[in-house]
Amino acid sequence: MVKGNWHKQGSAAQQSATLTIREDYFTLEIQDALPIHGKLLSLDVSSRIGNVQRNITLKDGSVFCTSDNDSIDLIFKNHLKGEKLVHKLESKLHLVLISLVVAILTAFIFFKWGVPWASKQIAHALPYETNNIISANTLDFLDKYLLEKSKISIFKQKDIISHFHNKLAPLSEDKDIKYKLHFRLWEDSNKSIPNAFALPSGDIVLTDKFIELCKNQEEMDSVLLHEMGHVVHRHTLETVLETTFITVSVMLIMGDPNGMADMGVGVGSLLVSSSYSRGHESEADMYAFKHMLTSGIDPIAFSNIMNAMTSYMKENEKTKKEKEDDESILNYLSSHPNTKQRVKIAQEFSKCFKAGLTECKIDKAILQAQ
Amino acid sequence: MKALSFEGSGWEYFKIWIVNILLTIITFGLYHPWAKVRNRRYFYANSTLEGRNFEYHATGKQLFLSYIIAVILFITYIIIQKVSPTGSLVVVGLLFLAIPWLILRSMMFNMKMMSFSNVRFEFKGALSRAYINFFAYPIISYIGLFAIAYAMIYAFKLGGIVGGVLGSLLLLAMFAFLVFAISYIKKKNSEFFIDSSHYGQGNFQTNLELNEFIKIMFKTLGIGLLSMIGVSILLAIIMYLSFGADSLISMGNSANNPSLVQSIIAAILPFLALSYLLMIFVSIFVMAYSITRNRTYIFNNTRLDNNVTFESTLKALPLAWILISNFIVVILSLGLALPWAKVRVTRFMLENTLVKAENGFNDYLSQKQSQQSALGEEIGDVFDVDLGIGL
Repeated sequence: MVKGNWHKQGSAAQQSATLTIREDYFTLEIQDALPIHGKLLSLDVSSRIGNVQRNITLKDGSVFCTSDNDSIDLIFKNHLKGEKLVHKLESKLHLVLISLVVAILTAFIFFKWGVPWASKQIAHALPYETNNIISANTLDFLDKYLLEKSKISIFKQKDIISHFHNKLAPLSEDKDIKYKLHFRLWEDSNKSIPNAFALPSGDIVLTDKFIELCKNQEEMDSVLLHEMGHVVHRHTLETVLETTFITVSVMLIMGDPNGMADMGVGVGSLLVSSSYSRGHESEADMYAFKHMLTSGIDPIAFSNIMNAMTSYMKENEKTKKEKEDDESILNYLSSHPNTKQRVKIAQEFSKCFKAGLTECKIDKAILQAQ
Repeated sequence: MKALSFEGSGWEYFKIWIVNILLTIITFGLYHPWAKVRNRRYFYANSTLEGRNFEYHATGKQLFLSYIIAVILFITYIIIQKVSPTGSLVVVGLLFLAIPWLILRSMMFNMKMMSFSNVRFEFKGALSRAYINFFAYPIISYIGLFAIAYAMIYAFKLGGIVGGVLGSLLLLAMFAFLVFAISYIKKKNSEFFIDSSHYGQGNFQTNLELNEFIKIMFKTLGIGLLSMIGVSILLAIIMYLSFGADSLISMGNSANNPSLVQSIIAAILPFLALSYLLMIFVSIFVMAYSITRNRTYIFNNTRLDNNVTFESTLKALPLAWILISNFIVVILSLGLALPWAKVRVTRFMLENTLVKAENGFNDYLSQKQSQQSALGEEIGDVFDVDLGIGL
């Protein structure tokens, strides 16, 4: 016997009622109204959520409501199948805890390995033209707002370009890529910035200060190979896909976020995406080192130019002690791997180079410290 | 007058919430519509008044198709945004154009899926009014604001006494226009939402005055200004007490010495953090004040037919306390306390909502309603379009 209230179809008025069950039939006795009989199977029972009131809809559209959840679950145990599982998960403490752990683990695995892996697969499955689409207008945009005309002489530019096309470009595994070098001046508050970056289309931009800081051809080649690594591995495309994955999955998981949750999610996504881009930098480094070994360039050159660029940027700014402190903290936020780590790996490769090897196995501990 | 009450608990909701998240994650998001239904049903069904409760009637199956369409649109939007700057401008423009439609469809769907004591609600708003309210008014306000701002800059550039006086007057005019525009839009939106809502055969009605909204806004601004000044004075006193006047002055004099500046920054960093936190709390308080006053005014002037009247007993300080403590607890628990915080706010809001039904609810009957797609609601949900009604 289950006690509750009964509503006529669509009516707000409630009359107290009692539901009794005999085998496959039910009887609903209603105060001030005729009782209703019928088959148990003709009833539509709402699924259980916590301890909220259950609504049982009869064939005529009238509704019997009751808070006696346990009796309803017992009577309709063959009726409610799939929905019962969710409530079971919700009601047992250990299942809740397991859910919590599984949810956190799944999310961790998904973000740590799933997203980069899926992005890589998709990025390489897409036709080559996608790279041109995503880099269209980028250089024009940069020229308009950030970069200026290079002051490097045309002869020097031509030298660098012809050396690049003779020696480095043929190393590229992906023959579709049309590499092109661009020379620009990048000034920020009267300081010339050393930098080199690649667009997915194969356009590589070198700034004047970078060329000035390169002490020899090998240093420049090492950075150019690093940039080629980004292009060959389609890193920009991967980044686009990765951030899409993050944004969409956060939206799906959080459901209806509010202000406070938004803030936490923002910081979280920032940490996750910068960890992805550190992965890209390491991958490009590895690409550069491997090709340097096979084409007779000492990988120590990469370490030298990295150091030259870092110390130029930090000149007069901080004492050495503070520099080191900063690096360990910023490591989590920076899109580039810790410079010290990169230099260390370059030195390991350099050892292999000096031993005359064309392949190099690096201690896992050094790699993972990144 | 009887207060609404909330019968759920934080722990019970936590279990529902975490299982929802788990199932959403392991189904790669496909479970989301069902999760949303369970969430809503939990909160609606636990909201009661004199033994009668609310219900949410949408099913996961019903939401699913619209949800998939919305997710595909969202993914397209994200990719366009990443790839092409012009493309993303076009998309943002389209989204802005679609917002009134989204709000209207979402209101229609949600009201239709909501019942109280077995009787459905309904929203019958005209699309044209949605576009006037959520598109025309905001755009006109922006144009007006920019026009005055432009004139002001021009006047100040003229220089001299005439330019100065004219500029100051225009500055005041800009301020007045801003207060007027926001209050006007608030009044129009509240009227639109309430007058288009129905409960069974009953009609909600409201009678709102622009003056009241302007008054509330001025008070809010005044309180905001006063509390900001209060916080600044408090911080100044704390700094004075911890450093003393001499070192504060010498700090000011050392601005040209880079290494000294660095050590000073290190010394005052805790104060910067403290003032940042205090500013967040003050803005939460000011927001709570504005919500409370507007809600009280709107509730007191809203009726359902000539039968049901409403009242809000919400007070700014207790609401601010709940919001601030929730904020702290959610951050400290890395989000795990979110369900508890949500239950706490809901219970507080409901318990401060009073309802009086002269002739009871027994005579209300659900009206025949046409089928309604959930597309607008789901797109609005996925794109996080804010409906801006916190009733």
